[in-house]
Amino acid sequence: MCNIECCKSRKTHNTTKQQTFPYLRYLFKMSLAVSLRRALLVLLSGAIFILTVLYWNQGVIKTQAYSEAQPRLHVQRDRNIDPIPLEKSWTYKCDHDRCVRVNYHKNEDNAKRVSFISCSMTCGDINIWPHPTSKSLVSAHTLRFSVEDVHLRLDSPHRDVRKQLKLAFDWFIKELRQIQRLDYASHTDEISMAAASVSEPSFRLGLHKTDTDVAESPLAGSLFSATFGSHRVGDLDSLQVKLSVHGSDQLNFNLDNDESYKLSTTYEHRRILVHITAQTFFGARHGLSTLQQLIWYDDEERLLRTYVSSLINDEPKFRYRGLMLDTSRHFFSVDAIKRTISAMGLAKLNRFHWHITDAQSFPYISRNYPELAEHGAYSESETYSEQDVREVTEFAKIFGVQVLLEVDAPAHAGNGWDWGPKRGLGELSLCINQQPWSFYCGEPPCGQLNPKNNHTYLILQRLYEEFLKLTGPTDIFHLGGDEVNLDCWAQYFNDTDLRGLWCDFMLQSNARLKLANGNEALRHVVVWSSALTNTKCLPNSQFVVQVWGGSTWQENYDLLDNGYNVIFSHVDAWYLDCGFGSWRATGDAACSPYRTWQNVYKHRPWERMRLDNKRRKQVLGGEACLWTEQVDENQLDNRLWPRAAALAERLWSDPNDDHDFDIVPPEVFRRISLFRNRLVELGIKAEALFPKYCVQNPGECI
Amino acid sequence: MAFNRYTRCYLALLLCAAVAVADDSSEESSSTIPSKWLCDSTDLCLPEEELMPGLGNIQPPHRYESQRDCRLSCGKYGAIWPMPTGECSLSHDRVHFDPWKVRFNVVAPNAVTTQFLRETNRLFVSNLLKECTRNCTLGNSKEVLVKATVNDSSLVLDWSTDESYMMVVRTTDTASFVDIKATTVYGARFAFETLSNLVTGSLSNGLLLVSAARVHDRPVYPHRGLLLDTARNFLPLRYLRSTLDAMAASKMNVLHWHVVDTHSFPLEITRVPEMQRYGAYSNAQTYSRIDAVNLVKYARLRGIRIMMEIDGPSHAGNGWQWGPSAGLGNMSVCLNQAPWRNYCVQPPCGQLNPLNDHMYAVLKEILEDVAELGAPEETIHMGGDEVYIPCWNRTEEITTQMKARGDDLSEASFLRLWSQFHQRNLNAWDSINQRMYPSVREPKPVILWSSRLTDPETIEQLLPKERFIIQTWVSALDPLNRNLLQRGYRLLISTKDAWYLDHGFWGSTSYYNWRKVYDNALPLDPHRGQERQVLGGEVCMWSEYVDQNSLEARIWPRAGAAAERLWSNPKSSANLAQRRFYRYRERLIARGIHPDAVVPHWCVLHEGQCL
Repeated sequence: MCNIECCKSRKTHNTTKQQTFPYLRYLFKMSLAVSLRRALLVLLSGAIFILTVLYWNQGVIKTQAYSEAQPRLHVQRDRNIDPIPLEKSWTYKCDHDRCVRVNYHKNEDNAKRVSFISCSMTCGDINIWPHPTSKSLVSAHTLRFSVEDVHLRLDSPHRDVRKQLKLAFDWFIKELRQIQRLDYASHTDEISMAAASVSEPSFRLGLHKTDTDVAESPLAGSLFSATFGSHRVGDLDSLQVKLSVHGSDQLNFNLDNDESYKLSTTYEHRRILVHITAQTFFGARHGLSTLQQLIWYDDEERLLRTYVSSLINDEPKFRYRGLMLDTSRHFFSVDAIKRTISAMGLAKLNRFHWHITDAQSFPYISRNYPELAEHGAYSESETYSEQDVREVTEFAKIFGVQVLLEVDAPAHAGNGWDWGPKRGLGELSLCINQQPWSFYCGEPPCGQLNPKNNHTYLILQRLYEEFLKLTGPTDIFHLGGDEVNLDCWAQYFNDTDLRGLWCDFMLQSNARLKLANGNEALRHVVVWSSALTNTKCLPNSQFVVQVWGGSTWQENYDLLDNGYNVIFSHVDAWYLDCGFGSWRATGDAACSPYRTWQNVYKHRPWERMRLDNKRRKQVLGGEACLWTEQVDENQLDNRLWPRAAALAERLWSDPNDDHDFDIVPPEVFRRISLFRNRLVELGIKAEALFPKYCVQNPGECI
Repeated sequence: MAFNRYTRCYLALLLCAAVAVADDSSEESSSTIPSKWLCDSTDLCLPEEELMPGLGNIQPPHRYESQRDCRLSCGKYGAIWPMPTGECSLSHDRVHFDPWKVRFNVVAPNAVTTQFLRETNRLFVSNLLKECTRNCTLGNSKEVLVKATVNDSSLVLDWSTDESYMMVVRTTDTASFVDIKATTVYGARFAFETLSNLVTGSLSNGLLLVSAARVHDRPVYPHRGLLLDTARNFLPLRYLRSTLDAMAASKMNVLHWHVVDTHSFPLEITRVPEMQRYGAYSNAQTYSRIDAVNLVKYARLRGIRIMMEIDGPSHAGNGWQWGPSAGLGNMSVCLNQAPWRNYCVQPPCGQLNPLNDHMYAVLKEILEDVAELGAPEETIHMGGDEVYIPCWNRTEEITTQMKARGDDLSEASFLRLWSQFHQRNLNAWDSINQRMYPSVREPKPVILWSSRLTDPETIEQLLPKERFIIQTWVSALDPLNRNLLQRGYRLLISTKDAWYLDHGFWGSTSYYNWRKVYDNALPLDPHRGQERQVLGGEVCMWSEYVDQNSLEARIWPRAGAAAERLWSNPKSSANLAQRRFYRYRERLIARGIHPDAVVPHWCVLHEGQCL
């Protein structure tokens, strides 16, 4: 990898050198022929000219610098295949808000081919996922441009906000480059590669060659045009993105962050100005996600396109729009997590709930207690260092996504906690890997923290402290707290009230959380729903219950009646791991069947429960959960996407839905299908929604 | 700017070096972990400290450096997947060796078989290299001398090919010797596959090989297939190749390529370029003639036949639209008709016009192309499922012609029309083959899906059993298999409620996990001792909800469970196979496949703890 990068940069350097060389020689000749003074004059004016040109084109050069400097996402290893190949055989016509596929060979009147996406973007309702909530207008007129034409103008009095906006914009540009297929080999290359496939050595050789060629040519081309101001290929001289954040300088994640934004596009003299205004960075960030979806790649022109004018006012219906990933049952690399977060950003999901440890493994290397990972990680390579976690949180912030780290306690904590006696700290966790497991825990291996060991709490406090430091100040934290098996503790303690012990544990760990947070209580402390949350022992002013039971269970009503704020993660709608059968030899599959994206999308517990306004306010939002007993990095993307996107629209726009069970309107099919294409375009291996025929013929398969 | 580039480049180099150094140090620390593994009396691989002292275990004598090392020989079948059907004995000793020091000796009757085995050796070595956990090279490695002897000079691969092999591994002071004997090159190839299952990476450099072994092995069923549908969603060639790689690792031998359907026609037909031009999703989403020929070769080298399916009369639509403009009339009817529920079982609609002679002429050209693609002995799958009679019945063109022929519009006459369609294509297929491959004497049987046409009551009048093999896709409880077997039909089994890998993601279907796939026993031959009637089976990957993004995880490792069912037809349940299965899955990963996870990683590492 490293070597290829170096080759590339060296080569491009050579080309610029060759370009400048003849000019030097010319100057040299002149200085011999005529007087030295005149040569100097020419040299000086030449230098001034070049400087002027460079200054004039500053923005362009910058954009190239971004694309060069950005680290490549893990998925780009596959970049020699264009994820959505050119479809020359079809042209599309808009008919009653629906694009109709027509064979281009039949096209008698020699009309220009209209690509599927260009038709879709100008036919019917606006194609933004999740759908904007208050106002969305776009013009029918569209223009072509290239990523090099896109510039940033920052408009914010807050320095840190400006810095953060710049980072977000850099990623925006990077993804636009990907959308414009600047890093892909062309189709003919793919075909020739395929033909040469049987003789493998030559196949590799071919790959290398096209790789460097493609990476080089657009760069060299645009450098040329930058220096000599040659005419642009598109319809625009520039597309300026102005990000205005005047409201608050808040960069910490809080539940009451203002996420609204306004986006407007105006056009004048080959220049488009996109103006995104928001109260906070977070709103502006969502505006960029929307803008990205207002831009598409026209495979006929091989350029980007966008609308001449647009006006969008948007804000989310729910504040907490989460996605949970369990990295304990299986380990997931930092790259995979970052990839997931980048997709969350596009779908405007805003909380990445990182269930980082469980009874199976403890991959987090704590600064204060490295023993936890030493004893609990699957292997040395399957761990997260502090640096990894920081990298993820900083990356997530660029996408407006908060990282919430959860060390589940007191249950779901076994492997990694077994070194207490050796260090003289006593048993930190009980029933570790005890058999028969079904007596002492919900799934093997068992393990439950020792509620009567002060060291346990101290370790938790230190972990909380580290987490808060890594993820930055916030007003929300997850304590876990589910599925305590009282029989496990009953082996050790003869307390009559074991549930009281559980409650004390949660209160004690909450107290420790307060200490960890500089003796300041967190506004919201999340716990999973359980037998405990039905007892009112946890104060409803502070505790938020993440409800994961069935959506029809009584606890849903009780929790709201008891005054708790809730986050819905109903197992029968928003558990993305369900449907793959039982992974053990014994026992039934816990939560089959599979939840289709329609199931995820159609789930509106607040409507089904007919909540009044007061109770509706107690619903902070929802979260889709991916437990990873039967998932590892190999299929992470297709388990999550596009189903997590279905949740995203449910929580952002909560569109009305008066259709029958399982029926999703054709308009939604069309939009999510385009969104899925966008994910695939960016290297997210999202699952197919239906046969490609149905993508190309919207509405025909419903 | 240039300076920047150089610095960046330099920094990157430095970084690479730093990473390399870091790698080294971590390697050192890992090699100092003294963890010793044991194979206990119940064939579990456990770290020494986890061995239950109370269970009256006499400490097993062998110590292994890792779980994978232990797995090689723990249990009768070690890590071999699918399990051998004959003698299988594995020594607990291992030899440390360097894959570059493996020498091959090929004894084969002619040049093509020799060449085939040389290629097999090359693929074998490249698979070995993927097993290396650390540096593959080893300073003072013993040589491994592999001798493969093959008697049969033919490369024919069909249901009668002898796929058996025997393999003996022994080790002396100077070297290890592997002796492989097989009738055909394909048998020998399976021996190499088994041999690769006797190898694992070592925690220090090089590889470990079971030092002595005797394996006699032959498959129970001659047809061990996987269906891949490339019409609902297109699958790029590289994913077809990776599927073939994984099939080879599982000793499967038939790729049933459902290459076209109503949705799209990605295959290039050199004689009728219109098919692809009108039917492909896009120019890039196509298979050229060269692609297909190369793929057949690629499969062949891995002991796999590619059996093409040109589905008809139903499941044919896009690609056939050009008839009217070319003056050939409507070759496909009900094409993309709406509302689709009136004309077909799944959108888009399309069904061939069985009363259009031009359609038969075009279809014959297609069959000719397909015959050219494959080996001389290869046959074809003619589809023939899910014909929706109301489509024909609602097409005036067809009903008037039928009336003119003197047929009524009853179901029986439509069924007759349907069977005539197949008979006519079969005749075309025969005449093509007689001309193209005069050396193949017997007319080749063709395959059809089970359907209304294969109703046991009427099938004998419609489809002669000598010429039609039926691929049934009914549920395990359906009596169809039994009835057809009693009537003497040869069958391929694709049990809908166990081997349909697309189930569980749509409608009211449910997902079949690998245990369910594994436990799906095939129906028994009723006429024992006579010619085999159950040829084998296929797992089916219909691609409505799958494209390259999720293909591998949907197929693997579950298809591997079917592979063992078809190769060994084990009497024991999936539970006894699970540890070998987990190891098999890891091997797939090493070979670059992305299979689904089946249990928490903890359960793989702690055998016997997650029952």
